[in-house]
Amino acid sequence: MAGLRSKSWKNFVFALPAAFLLPALVFAGDCPEVDLEAIKWLDRMTRSVDEVSYHGVVTFQRDGQDMQVMQVSRVVDGDTSFERLTQLTGQGAEILRASHPLQCVHPGHKLLRMGQDLQDGECGLSRLYRFRVTEGERVAGRKAVRLEVAPRDLYRYGYILELDRRTGLLLKSVTVGRGSRMLEKFQFADIAYNSRLPEGAEINLVHEAEHPAPGEAREERSLPQAWQVGWLPRGFTATDTPLPNAARRTFTDGLAVFSIFIEELDRSIRPGEGVVRSGSTTSYTRGMNVGDEPVLVTVVGEIPVNTARMVADSVAWTH
Amino acid sequence: MSERLRESLSAMLDDEANELEIQRVIKALDQDPELRETWRRYQAIRTAVTDHGVSHLQLDISSRVREALDSQESPAVASLGQRLRKPFASFAVAASVAATVVIGGQQLATLDAEDPYGVETASSGGVSPVGLINSVGAVPVRASFGTQPVPVTQASARNAYEELARQRMQLYLQEHAEHAALNSPDGLIPFARVPEIQE
Repeated sequence: MAGLRSKSWKNFVFALPAAFLLPALVFAGDCPEVDLEAIKWLDRMTRSVDEVSYHGVVTFQRDGQDMQVMQVSRVVDGDTSFERLTQLTGQGAEILRASHPLQCVHPGHKLLRMGQDLQDGECGLSRLYRFRVTEGERVAGRKAVRLEVAPRDLYRYGYILELDRRTGLLLKSVTVGRGSRMLEKFQFADIAYNSRLPEGAEINLVHEAEHPAPGEAREERSLPQAWQVGWLPRGFTATDTPLPNAARRTFTDGLAVFSIFIEELDRSIRPGEGVVRSGSTTSYTRGMNVGDEPVLVTVVGEIPVNTARMVADSVAWTH
Repeated sequence: MSERLRESLSAMLDDEANELEIQRVIKALDQDPELRETWRRYQAIRTAVTDHGVSHLQLDISSRVREALDSQESPAVASLGQRLRKPFASFAVAASVAATVVIGGQQLATLDAEDPYGVETASSGGVSPVGLINSVGAVPVRASFGTQPVPVTQASARNAYEELARQRMQLYLQEHAEHAALNSPDGLIPFARVPEIQE
């Protein structure tokens, strides 16, 4: 863990003004102060993936675990994209996403494209995070611009994003938890902008990524009755439109994503809760009665434990 | 709210606060009505978890906590023996405070207890209602070839729940990653968090 601590992040956190949580209240009806340059870079980041083809080697680190290394490729071909992630360590799995239309923009990315929101008088992500642009470091041999993203409430983590100064591509991302603790870090070690796919890795398994999207019906595990989530942290929106009785719901604020899974139990359970964390991922499982029925609610995602707990607590049947 | 206080509050909410942080929050609760409201709301949720209902949550937890902390002896007047015991004493106070203020998963587990991993589960040969694997002590095992299942230990429900959370993480992380990969800036990277990718 100590090896992952960063001095620069610490400085950043302690340099934040004391009125950290208040702006949203103080500026109710108005946007809290907005760093337009940061907004511009975020916007550019989400669009960059449609503009450039690249291949690179990415390292992925989580506290207390071995570093993972993977090849990541993305090729833009006409109006679709092809993505591939190949694990060079560990399981040796390969993830593919082919023929993804460029105009298919999912809810999380829409939230990051804030330029229009701000013109329309909506605050978008700047209600949820405080942004700051600074001089970035060198990542994978590229000059980067650094985007410091600090949460305005206790319900989400902070991030340090390093974007390629030329292309806007996300080259490095650090997820930061309480106490300036680095929970997780991924970064390119090497990157090349061209459309020739590297070959040669020995693959054990290929998984074709699914495409859950709003308005698309999918077959999913379902419950006998419909349910709802009574409380969500501010700014979170559904990533797709599952049936009212689907056993899963997923929400995003543009940067963080979490999913709720419900299991109905056929007998009563001793009420309780359990938490396991790995990097920035929290798995929170809670046994409780919803109405009169015993259920197991699990919240999995890149959010603090307390957020998961409060979301799980608000699950109710739809009457 | 200062950054440090925010950190302390966050630590308490995450069950990770040390004594110093707990004191910091208590002091702030004294002075900040808004924070007190937030805290009450949080406590209401905690109480709801225990199935006690929200009503008796009107209790101001902070004063109870302060009492616990105030009863701690002052190091200035402590004898050597007392000082030697101090680390333990102070730990005990911190722990009891944490149990009062923060959550106390174990407390929850012992309330309203009908043992879900009880005798019935094993003797019926059925699957444990929540898919708990046998590595957790709470699951009874059969004694040799006898017909009576023998409950091994009444392992704390907390451990059982932690095991459940671990299993759920493995079970659900890939499905979660399918969404994260389309709704966060990291491209396919969320799949790197999945312990074992399934086709």
